[in-house]
Amino acid sequence: MSSKFQYDLVALVIFALVVAFGVPAVMNYDGFELNTFARYLALAIVSMALSLSWGTAGLLNLGQAATFGMGSYAMAMHLKLRASDGLPDFMGWNNVETLPWLWVPFESLTFTLLAGLLVPAFIGGLIAIFMFRARIAGVFVAIITLAFLVAFQLLFINQQGLTGGQNGLTGLAQMSLFGWTVDPYSMGFYNLVAGCLVVALAFGVYLTHSKFGLILRAIREDADRARFFGYNVASYQTLVFCISAALAGWAGMLYTLVLEFASPTYMSVSFSLAIVIWCAVGGRESVIAAAFGAIVVNMLEGRLSDVFVEGWHLILGVIFVLVVMFMPRGIYGLLSDSVRKIRRIRRTRDQRGVETFPNT
Amino acid sequence: MDVIANQLFAGLSMASILLMIALGLAIIYGAMGVINLAHGEFVMLGAYATWALQTYAGIGILPALPLVFISVAAVGWIVEKVVVQNLYHRPLDTILATWGIGIILQQAVRLGVGAESRFVKGPALLSGNTEIGPLIMSNYRLFVIVFSMAVLAATWVLMTRTEFGMKLRAVIQNRAISECYGIEAKRVYSITFAYGAGLAGIAGALITPLFSTIPTMGTGLVVDAFLVVIVGGLGSLIGSAAASVLIGEATAIFSIVINDTLGRIAVLAGIILLIRFRPRGLFPTETRR
Repeated sequence: MSSKFQYDLVALVIFALVVAFGVPAVMNYDGFELNTFARYLALAIVSMALSLSWGTAGLLNLGQAATFGMGSYAMAMHLKLRASDGLPDFMGWNNVETLPWLWVPFESLTFTLLAGLLVPAFIGGLIAIFMFRARIAGVFVAIITLAFLVAFQLLFINQQGLTGGQNGLTGLAQMSLFGWTVDPYSMGFYNLVAGCLVVALAFGVYLTHSKFGLILRAIREDADRARFFGYNVASYQTLVFCISAALAGWAGMLYTLVLEFASPTYMSVSFSLAIVIWCAVGGRESVIAAAFGAIVVNMLEGRLSDVFVEGWHLILGVIFVLVVMFMPRGIYGLLSDSVRKIRRIRRTRDQRGVETFPNT
Repeated sequence: MDVIANQLFAGLSMASILLMIALGLAIIYGAMGVINLAHGEFVMLGAYATWALQTYAGIGILPALPLVFISVAAVGWIVEKVVVQNLYHRPLDTILATWGIGIILQQAVRLGVGAESRFVKGPALLSGNTEIGPLIMSNYRLFVIVFSMAVLAATWVLMTRTEFGMKLRAVIQNRAISECYGIEAKRVYSITFAYGAGLAGIAGALITPLFSTIPTMGTGLVVDAFLVVIVGGLGSLIGSAAASVLIGEATAIFSIVINDTLGRIAVLAGIILLIRFRPRGLFPTETRR
């Protein structure tokens, strides 16, 4: 374990250096390009959040987009209130007379930041308790979270006066953090998002290598055996679900800052499955690989959609099917397998060396 | 009273469509434990095949049904041979792979035919309504209800009264032992998958006059149909039928009591509760896996 931990630390440092210094240099410090890349980094956080629950604990959460959306809307509500004096414009169109009580606390930035983390964690926790107390596992976790996601998105679109319905929340102000107005096309903002990603990854690496992560992997391999050893499986699963949801909420907040709007499409089934795709392509077993997968797929999407305006979805589908069939552990699996193979070759060569000189 | 009766009929009509889609899914899921998220795209292919036959060959919906069945079944057979067959030992990965196939099929249709919605004329024979007192029923919807029950019956006969059905049930119960008795499990799986896909194609053909035909029509349908299968119980035909009536009627009734969207949310919440407390569905079949 310790050697793997070292590998992960090295990977994390390289990843952080590339993201912090390499990418902006390649992008020529261009505001637009940096904003695009900051979008990928925000999505990398959701992907790595999914890898915690899916890769480490074996719980395939198809509703990750719901918690992402909650964070995104929390941030958007705050920015919308700051952009409008009094009532946000869309509420007037929906005949809402006074500011709904749900919106009032979002005047405060501190509350918003806390809500963006804690509301998803709380809702994720409720669903987790609901499922895992009944020892729901495998496919049924995927189905319940998927059904929840569909219901949640419908509810959001339905409550037009509260959420802006199908249009989402647009015309947002720029966030001001300690007197610094956050311009999404600036180097400072890029550093903020990159910093968030690196912190989230460091936390994820720590978590997967801690005793908590070890128990989660034990549960993934055989929940009953973990239970017989006296571990309370349901509470471990609930906790990892909460953490994953909070991270997704965090990513959602950053995503709103990047794109300067929040839309119910963030909570769609296809977006949720896209997160699963990124995570699978990178490798669900490692948080860094999952984040890398999100960045690679999104970059590819950006480049391919420039070249093949119509057909890139098709290419993405083909890549994904090939990954599932031939690289079930993603890019990470490919790397770790080849590392193991090289080691084995080296070991056999060393042994042969010993055999030729038996008495020296 | 009139409103309720008409709403109940609408619920039944929806149930019949759900049943048609869910049947294929239930067979595939029951037989091989594969969650086929590309099923909605098979429905979509069926709808487009019907549109193409009507527009370019002048064949109406009803005579087109066998052709649609065969062509979509062929697509399903290819998908099974190329992709799904390699994933039987990894059931969670089939969700992902079939979703990828769904994306491919959807985009292929969008590129080939275009994203705008297509319309298919219903058969002239079945236009008009049947009225019983205040209850007004469209003949075409009545036909779909009857037809879905016929498909259910045919599937039941196929599963219980034919040699193929016997082989399939043997493979479901114990693949290794049935292979020892000379049943080619791989072939049984391929045919089952193709049959399920063909049923989805027929469902797609039948819903063309009721829904607008667009490349993304399958995505919404597959979630609903899958919930029907889970609620009905693993691979149980009767369960799927009961669950589709239950979900269709519940949606219809909730949508007059509350409103359309909140009604759907209420049904989804009910389904989540049901899966929580009866994860094996309403009518679980006793099989050893």
